Amino acid sequence: MREFQPVPARPAPVKTVGPVAWARANLFSSIPNSMMTLFVMALFVYFIPPIVDWAFLSANWTGTTEDACVRDGACWVFVKAWSYQFFYGTYPEEEVWRINLMLGLLVLVIAASFTLPKHIRLKASVAAWLLLPLVGIAVLDGRLLGLNQVTTDLWGGFTLNVFMAAASIIVAFPFSFLWALGRRSEMPFIRSVSIIFIEFFRGVPVLSLFFMGSVMLPLFFAEGTNVDKLIRVWIVLIFFMSGYMAEVFRGGFQAVPSGQYEAADSIGLSYWQKILLIILPQVIKVSMPNILATFVMLFKNTTFLLIIGIPEVVQTLQTALSNSYWLGGHALEGYLFVFLVFWSSCFSMSLLARRIERQMNTDKRG
Amino acid sequence: MSAVKSSSGAEDIIVIENLNKWYGNFHVLRDINLRVKKGERIVICGPSGSGKSTTIRCINRLEEFQEGSLVVDGVEMINDVKNIETIRKDVGMVFQHFNLFPHLTILENLTLGPIWVQKKPKAEAEATAMQYLERVKIPDQADKYPGQLSGGQQQRVAIARSLCMNPNIMLFDEPTSALDPEMIKEVLDVMVELAQEGMTMLCVTHEMGFAKKVADRVIFMDAGQIVEENEPNEFFNNPQNERTKLFLSQILNH
Amino acid sequence: MLKQKTLEQTKAAARRNKGGRSAAFYNNPEIRALGYQLLLVLGLGYFFYSVISNVLANMEATGIKTGFGFLTASAGYDVLMSLIPFEATDTYGRIFIVGFLNTILVSVIGIFFATVLGFIFGVAHFSHNWLIRKVAVLYVEIFRNIPLLLQVFFWYFAVLATLPSARQSLSLGEAIFLNVRGLYVPKMVGSDLFWVAEVALAVAIAGIFVLRRWAKRRQALTGQIFPVFYTSIAMVIGLPVAALLLTGLPFTVEYPELRGFNYFGGITIIPELMALAIALSVYTGSFIAEAVRAGVQSIPQGQTEAARSLGLSEKRIMSLIIVPQAMRVIVPLLNSEYQSLVKNSTLAAAIGYPDLFNVFVGTALNQTGQAIETIFMTIVVYFIVNMVISFLMNRLNNAVALVSR
Ligand SMILES: Nc1ncnc2c1ncn2[C@@H]1O[C@H](COP(=O)(O)OP(=O)(O)O)[C@@H](O)[C@H]1O
Ligand SMILES: [Mg+2]
Repeated sequence: MREFQPVPARPAPVKTVGPVAWARANLFSSIPNSMMTLFVMALFVYFIPPIVDWAFLSANWTGTTEDACVRDGACWVFVKAWSYQFFYGTYPEEEVWRINLMLGLLVLVIAASFTLPKHIRLKASVAAWLLLPLVGIAVLDGRLLGLNQVTTDLWGGFTLNVFMAAASIIVAFPFSFLWALGRRSEMPFIRSVSIIFIEFFRGVPVLSLFFMGSVMLPLFFAEGTNVDKLIRVWIVLIFFMSGYMAEVFRGGFQAVPSGQYEAADSIGLSYWQKILLIILPQVIKVSMPNILATFVMLFKNTTFLLIIGIPEVVQTLQTALSNSYWLGGHALEGYLFVFLVFWSSCFSMSLLARRIERQMNTDKRG
Repeated sequence: MSAVKSSSGAEDIIVIENLNKWYGNFHVLRDINLRVKKGERIVICGPSGSGKSTTIRCINRLEEFQEGSLVVDGVEMINDVKNIETIRKDVGMVFQHFNLFPHLTILENLTLGPIWVQKKPKAEAEATAMQYLERVKIPDQADKYPGQLSGGQQQRVAIARSLCMNPNIMLFDEPTSALDPEMIKEVLDVMVELAQEGMTMLCVTHEMGFAKKVADRVIFMDAGQIVEENEPNEFFNNPQNERTKLFLSQILNH
Repeated sequence: MLKQKTLEQTKAAARRNKGGRSAAFYNNPEIRALGYQLLLVLGLGYFFYSVISNVLANMEATGIKTGFGFLTASAGYDVLMSLIPFEATDTYGRIFIVGFLNTILVSVIGIFFATVLGFIFGVAHFSHNWLIRKVAVLYVEIFRNIPLLLQVFFWYFAVLATLPSARQSLSLGEAIFLNVRGLYVPKMVGSDLFWVAEVALAVAIAGIFVLRRWAKRRQALTGQIFPVFYTSIAMVIGLPVAALLLTGLPFTVEYPELRGFNYFGGITIIPELMALAIALSVYTGSFIAEAVRAGVQSIPQGQTEAARSLGLSEKRIMSLIIVPQAMRVIVPLLNSEYQSLVKNSTLAAAIGYPDLFNVFVGTALNQTGQAIETIFMTIVVYFIVNMVISFLMNRLNNAVALVSR
């Protein structure tokens, strides 16, 4: 009997591997392809050096006033001089520790919901999340805790965008669950009300909701009640968010296998026990990528608050651009900076969403 | 049984010489040499990852190769669009996962090639298609969509779809390994019938009963090479190679 | 389903047997359901009752008028841009229409260019060219993750506002001018026989449908394939041009002209419209590119392989196999992107483009104080526009849908 002697593997012919072959296959595989490559490269060569020069090489980095911007590059001094306002709005400087404290707490709660020991994680983090907006209002406003009051018209900047988005999604969470359950319900009236609610808040432009919050809501309250504008907008954002999140959760409910419901029934759990203990955790898990995507949308939409005169970051930037000491035309620098801030937060969240999604897909296979 | 076996002495319809292929730096096919005569039935087997699919996919240029030469029905494979399309028209292929077009009805799946490649009138293409559907015994499913058929039926449609193009050579890449046991027979029956009509066939399959019944030659591949090839009786009863013997004992014992 | 039912029955049976007493009426699921719904009705009823009475009381206190009477009153303000004649003395009703038309204009422009950009960059994701693939990824990841409002401002304040003044306009062949006041393009003004060319264009468009049917019939009968696409393009361009030549070029071209500090004549595209349209197209285009990528990626590799092994050319594989299947995934996503675009066009208010939202919820509300009426009317319009989009896209979806998979 013969023994199988494998032919030893040979390295691939040079013309098919290595950087030259790679470039030939991926950049110059045909004449149109080569032309496209050269065109894109030409664009890069044409645009990138002047941009790098403007943004870095001949940019102005040091100084505190417009007069410091003497070179023809970007005037980053403008961004530096206004950076406090961009982040904190007009919040008093000696009280800014409160904003930082809340940012810290937010990070802490996020971290806790991933790292706490399993048996208390769900309960502890749900409680922490729901308490967070209340703590936030108490700390930032200050009166309840015996601190100096900082009125809401002083709140602003990028942190306001972050807080508005976070506070809205947190409160919207339980509501959207109810709406999603209502839409799945077999009771006709509850189902119709849920559908109308969800479709209304998904169907109207966000801006019209903001206008409702700022000019229509005051009419709804009893005479003499004066609800803060920021709170009114917050209410509107909560409704808006719960419409979208309800649809996310509806998808999540559909993704939970029906065997789970049957199993829960078979061990004799009541409806609410079944929903809260068995179904809800699974729904949150499968909906995570979509929740993040919806949050990114909400976060981007907080910039629309500018239109009803709330000093979030873009509004602050507009104020800075029309400041009489800074009339040298720094729009480009300002917008690029705010671009960068938003882009890095939104992009990292979408990366996270994609990672969770990939992880879930492999979990399913494994 | 012997009536099935083809005559020898016909001309070579496929000639593969010193074929070598790499995926990046991975040497997947090593010095493959294979001659197939017109009307010959060849079964290729071997462990997973040994390069069986890659070999037969080279024959209709679903994969490129870097070294060696390949002549199909008198046409040498070169890197030229028209040349590749000519060869593909002449070679039919059946896949493990059927790959029917889900947006077309069964009849449309069958007439797509004849209408758009062979430029046949619709009525003629449909008449041919119905003939082949009858041969694979599902004429009554013509207006359904692939998703409405069982796996075995889908695979028979896939065979009929290839036959509609009137190919001289048929390639099968594990046509039954995605099927439930009770459906395997209905597909194999169609393949046996095809073999009896004298079609040149290359089948990657582990259905040893099929190999014994119709194959003229069985080829065993491992690590990207042809380890052993022989006439089926000899191959199964008297393997020449230690590696082949081990493989046969594994697949016959489960 | 069946299993659940039997389970429910066993449970009910068990409950009945327990102690032999009949179950309390409030534990009956049907009565419970009724109770929950009744509660919701009462809650909603109380909510609306209190809201409405509050609204009435508040309006009485502030002296705001109610009803739609204001629609026939003179508005007293002018709008920046209007597709129909408009003067400051015209009514709020007319301003509503002006705003509506402007919304439709910017939405149509936005949808068109967003679709073009989205399909180009979505398909570029599958290019054989590495560089092009990376450019496609860059486009999507950059523009999707920056708030739309910032992009609108960027184009308006950082790009268009820094263009040169009218006297230093950028020009293309002394016919098209771009300056800080807007984009000026020549206009074709037809004379007597111009209608012939218009008819020719209409005939050409109708001809495409006839041609398609004819080509399909001929292919069915003889098998010959007719190049419908190229012939159609030739027809749409050729017929009107031929008509113009035969009737002796019956038109004049009105070029924009510099008079004083600005250009007059031709068609003017104001920077507000440009900024909004560019931002909407680029932003929505990045989402559409993702949708296109998802659509194409949803098709298994085996489909292409099977088509190749039949000998179909790459062009036909695209049009017969890939596109019809990808569209199934893409069309529903397009539907929601188009609707978002229309809703997002309300950002016009940020830079002063006179769209419906801006002229109505912005200015008209401010002047009349009738928040409820103006917001209500505006919202209804957006709902209707989105329903129309949804209807059209569902028609398209049915056309590309599969019976089953
Ligand atoms: N597209 C590819 N890129 C890289 N490696 C591949 C690719 N396709 C197949 N391979 C590798 O080539 C080898 C042979 O694959 P294949 O011909 O499919 O094996 P078989 O059909 O015998 O199971 C395997 O090791 C497989 O992992
Ligand atoms: Mg294989």
